[in-house]
Amino acid sequence: MPQDTLATTQDLFTNFYTFEGVVRALNGVNIVVRHGETYGLVGESGCGKSVTVRSMMRIVQAPGKIDSGSIFVFLNPEDRLKAIEIVHRSEAYMESIRGCDISMIFQEPAAALNPVLSIGEQVAESYRFHLNDRMLEETLKALEGKRGHGLQRALFRRELAAIHRRDARLQRIDNELYPLDGRDDPEARSRKAQLSRMRDRTGGTDALVQVARRFPFLRLYRRRLERTVHGHVVELLRSLGIPNPENVAERYPHELSGGMQQRIVIAIALACHPTLLIADEPTSNLDVTIQAQIVDLIKQLKKTAISSVLFITHDLGLVAETCDRVTVMYAGDVCETAAVKELFKRPLHPYTKGLLNSVPKVEQAEELAMIPGAVPNLIAPPTGCRFHPRCPSRMPICVTEKPAVVEHTADHWVACHLYPKAAGSERSDPERSGPHD
Amino acid sequence: MSLLSYIIRRLFLMIFVLFGVSLLVFTVMMLMPPGMRVAAYVTSDRVTPEMMDAMIAKYGLNDPAPVQYIRWIGNLLHGQFGYSITASAPVLTGFMQFFPTTLELVLYAAPLIILVGIFLGTIGAVHKDEPLDHGTRIFAIIGYSLPTFWLGLLLMMILYGFAGLFPPGSLSNSAHEVVNAPGYHQYTHLLTIDAILNWRWDIFWDAFYRLILPTVNLVIINSALIMRLMRSSMLESLGQDYVMTARAKGADSRTLYLKHARRNAMLPVITVSGLTFAGLMSGAVITETIFDRKGIGWWTARAALQLDVAAIMFNVLFLGVIYVVINLIVDLIYAYVDPRVRLS
Amino acid sequence: MGTPVQTVTPPKVHPRLDEFLFTARRFIKNPLSVIGLSLILVFGVIALLAPVLEPPKYPDSFKMPHSGWKIEPSPPSAEHPLGTTQQQYDMLYGMIWGTRSAFKIGVLVVAANLLIGILLGAVAGYFGGAIDEIIMRVTDVFYAIPFLVMAMALVVAIGRGLKAVIIVLIILEWPSYTRVLRSDILVTRNKDFILASRASGASHLRVILTHILPNAMYSVLILASLNIGATILTAAALSFLGLGSDTGVADWGQIVSMGRNWIVGAPGNRFAYWYTVFVPGFVISLFVLGWNLLGDAVRDVFDPKVRRR
Repeated sequence: MPQDTLATTQDLFTNFYTFEGVVRALNGVNIVVRHGETYGLVGESGCGKSVTVRSMMRIVQAPGKIDSGSIFVFLNPEDRLKAIEIVHRSEAYMESIRGCDISMIFQEPAAALNPVLSIGEQVAESYRFHLNDRMLEETLKALEGKRGHGLQRALFRRELAAIHRRDARLQRIDNELYPLDGRDDPEARSRKAQLSRMRDRTGGTDALVQVARRFPFLRLYRRRLERTVHGHVVELLRSLGIPNPENVAERYPHELSGGMQQRIVIAIALACHPTLLIADEPTSNLDVTIQAQIVDLIKQLKKTAISSVLFITHDLGLVAETCDRVTVMYAGDVCETAAVKELFKRPLHPYTKGLLNSVPKVEQAEELAMIPGAVPNLIAPPTGCRFHPRCPSRMPICVTEKPAVVEHTADHWVACHLYPKAAGSERSDPERSGPHD
Repeated sequence: MSLLSYIIRRLFLMIFVLFGVSLLVFTVMMLMPPGMRVAAYVTSDRVTPEMMDAMIAKYGLNDPAPVQYIRWIGNLLHGQFGYSITASAPVLTGFMQFFPTTLELVLYAAPLIILVGIFLGTIGAVHKDEPLDHGTRIFAIIGYSLPTFWLGLLLMMILYGFAGLFPPGSLSNSAHEVVNAPGYHQYTHLLTIDAILNWRWDIFWDAFYRLILPTVNLVIINSALIMRLMRSSMLESLGQDYVMTARAKGADSRTLYLKHARRNAMLPVITVSGLTFAGLMSGAVITETIFDRKGIGWWTARAALQLDVAAIMFNVLFLGVIYVVINLIVDLIYAYVDPRVRLS
Repeated sequence: MGTPVQTVTPPKVHPRLDEFLFTARRFIKNPLSVIGLSLILVFGVIALLAPVLEPPKYPDSFKMPHSGWKIEPSPPSAEHPLGTTQQQYDMLYGMIWGTRSAFKIGVLVVAANLLIGILLGAVAGYFGGAIDEIIMRVTDVFYAIPFLVMAMALVVAIGRGLKAVIIVLIILEWPSYTRVLRSDILVTRNKDFILASRASGASHLRVILTHILPNAMYSVLILASLNIGATILTAAALSFLGLGSDTGVADWGQIVSMGRNWIVGAPGNRFAYWYTVFVPGFVISLFVLGWNLLGDAVRDVFDPKVRRR
C-alpha cells in the first residue's frame, strides 16, 4: 500500500436486496485515496459512485448491505501506517468517525438540511457530537474567576470527566483491537466482535448530567455551553464567506439560496476539521456561477482545513479543473485509475476513451461520438467485464472473465483484458497488500 | 401573507362553513313534518297540543322555506334553541347539563389517544419489520376493526360483570348526593376537577374510577389511526436526505430518530390529532350509551329515538362549530410549528 | 473488434399484464393480505349460499325466525348452534343473513361514493376556477358536520331501515373521496404528457378518461378499500342504536344491541349469556378486519411511494 494512503477499499461488494431482485451495485471496487490529494470519482448515473462512498462511511441505506470486501482508513496522525478496517467495526466507532474524520456533503443542499431546525442548530450538532470536550473546556475556562455558577461548573466538570473516562476506555479497547485487524482466524474474529460490542456499550455520559439535561428548568444551565458552541458556529460560517453569520444562524434552510445552503452543508461537514471530505456531486443542482464559487471554496478549504477531497461527479470538465487523480467507474466496476493529466492524455480503458470522445471539444468539427447501447440492469448484470456488451474492443475472454486491476504504467491502473498482467508482477492488485507491510 | 390576514381569511371561511352547516341542518329539518319541527321554536317549559297547533300556524311552519330559514336563524342568534323533550328542559339548559360529562371524558381520552398513537407509531417505524413493529401494527389493525360498542360491552362484561370492577355511570349514588349537596361547589362541573378543588379525594376517585373503562375503550379504537399515520410519517421522514446528512455527521440513533426524524414526522399528526379531538366529541355517542354516562352523545341518541328534533339539531350545530373552531386552532398551531409556513 | 450487443431484452409479455402479475405476486406474498382476502371470500360464499345454508322461514328472508317467546336468550344447542338472542331469535340465521346486509351496505355505499367522488373530484380538479371553489366549499361544509350525529338526524328525518342507512351513509361520506381524487388530479394535470395530449387535439373528456383518471385513480381506490370497513362499522353502530333495520331483521348491529341487557348473568353464573354479546360482535369484527387487511394490502401494493423499492 502506498505510504500516504488515507482510505482504501478492497474488493468491495455491496448489494441491494429489493423486491425485484438483488441489485449488485458494487462488483469488487478498489479505490485508493491518498493524503493531501483531490481524488475524482467519475461515471454515469447509477455506476456506483455514491454507493461506494456511502459504503465507505457505512451509511448505505436499507435494503443495501456490504456483502464482502474491506475498507481501510489511516486516520492516526502519528502513525500513518496504522490501518483500521471498518467494515466490521461497531456502529459507535463509525459514529465517532463520521463527521469528525470523514465528512460528506451531498448533492441537493436543500434536501440535506432539516427544514424544522435552524441553521445554527444544525451546525452546532457537529460540535456537540465530536468536540464536546473542547467546548466544555472552553466554557469552564470562561467561567474561571467568576463568582458563583457553582452548579454549572460542577455539572460541566462531571460531563468532561465522563468524556475523558470514556476516551481512556476506548483507547484501551482500541489498543487491543488494532493489532487484531490483520488477523482473520476464528479466535481473532470472536475477540474483535467482543471488543466491538464493548466499544458500543461504552457510554460517555454521567448519570447526574443526564438527569440535569432533561429536567425542565435545570437544563437552562447549559446555556453557557450553548453560547460557546454558538460562537464557534458563527466563526465557522464567517470563515466560509457567509455574510452576516449571526443572522444566518437564526434562519431556517428554506430561507436561503441554493449556493448559501450548500455553504452551510460544507460548514457542517468541516466543523471538526475532517481529514477526508467526500463531496457527492455537490454542484450538480446549482447553476454554473454558484458552481464555480463552491468549487473555489472547496479548493481553498483543501489548502487550509482538510487533507483530501473525494470528488464525485459526472462532469469531466470539473474533474480536469479540480482533481489530482481520478477513477472511472462503470456499472459497479472500476475501469481505470490515473493522474488526471495522464488519463486525459492517454486513456487506456475503452469506456474512458468513449467518455472522452463524447465530450465536445472546441476544435471538433464532426459529430459527437456516442457509446452505443445502454447502462445495464444491475439485477442481472453482464457476465465477465460489465462493459463488454457495449465495448468496441470486445474479446471472447471479456464475456467470461472479469478483468483484474493492473498497473499498466507508473501509477496508471486499468481493469481491461486489453492490458493483461504486466510481466513479472505477481500481484495484480497492489492495493491488496494489507497492514502486513 | 402575514398571520393577521391569514386569520381573517380563515374567519371568513369559518362563517361561510357555519352558514353552510346551518343550511344543511335546516334542509334536514324541512324533511320532517311540521308537528315534529315545531319543538325547535318552543321557548316555554310547558307545551300542550293546542299550543303546538297555534304555534305551527303562528310560526308559519307551512310558510315558504326561505322565510322559515330566516326566522330560524334569527332565533338561533338570539339564543332561542327550542325545547327538548328528552331533557324536559329548554335545549340550552339541557346542553349545559350534559356537556361537562362529555367534555370530561374527551379531556381524558384525547391526550391519551394522541400519546399512545405517537408512541406506538414511533416504535413501529424505528423497529420496522421486527416483531415489535408487527405487534404494534396488529394491535392497530385489530383496534381499528372492532366496533366501539362491542368492545365496550365486552370490557363491561368481563371487568364489571365478572370482576365487579369499573361500574358504569359517572358517579355512584352516594357520591352523586354529595356533589349536589349545598356545601359542594361545582366550579367547572367536571367531576374530577371539581372533586380536587373541593378537596374531596373520595369523590375524585369515585368519578375517576368510572372514567377508566370508557377511556380505555376509546383509546383502543382511536389510537390506531394516529399510530398508523405516525408510523408512515416517520418512515417517510427517515428516508429523507437530511436524516442521511445527520447520520453522516455522526449522530447517534437516538438523536436521529427522536430529534431529526420525529420532529418532521409530527407535523401531519398535529392535524389529525385535532380532528380526533373534534371527532371524539361527536363520536362519544356509543361509548356514553354503553357506559351510561349522561353526556351530549347519550342525549342525542335518546333524542334520535324519541324524535326530539330540537335537541338533535342543536347538537349538530354545536358540533359543527366545534369542528370549525378546532380546525382553525390546529391550523394556527401547525403554522407556528412548521418554520416553512411560519416564515413565508 | 466486435459490434456492440444489445443487452436490453424486449419484454415477453404485454406491459399491462406484466404490471398486473407483478401486483398480484406482491399481493400474495403478504400473509396479511391473504388472510384478508380469505376472510372476505368466506363471507362472500356464506352470503351467496345463505338461502341454502339457512332457508328463510318468512317471505321476507331477512326476518329471523324465533322459536318461542321467552325473553331470556338460550344457550347454543342442537337446534340453535349459536344460541339465540333475547326473544329467541336464532343467532345462526342472523349471522348468515346478516352477511348479506353487510355486503349490501358496504358495497353499495362505497360504490356510490366512488362514483360521486370521482365525478365531482374530476370536475373540480380538472376545470378548476369557480367550479372548483364551489365544490371545495361544499365539501368543507360536509366535513364540519358531525358524522354519527348527523346520520342520526337524517334517520330521524327520513325514517329508519336498511335503505335509509345506506342513503345516509352515501350522503355523508362522499366528500373525502372527492377531495382525494381532486388532489391527485391537481398533481397529474400539470404533468407534461397532459399538455402534449391537449396539444395534439384531444378533447377534455378524452384527456380525463384516458390520461388523467388512470394515473390519479390509485389514492381514491386505496381510500375506498380502507373505507369499506369503517362504513360497515358505522352502519352497525346505527343499527345498534336502534336506527337501522326494524326489530327482528337479520342485522348484526341490531343483534348486538339485543344482547346489551344480558352482559351480566345471574350471580352464580356471570357469563351465562356471553354468546349473545360475543358472537355477533365477533362476526362484525372479522368481517371488518378482512376488509381492513385487504385495504391495507391494496394500499401497500398501489401506493406509488412504497411500490418499487
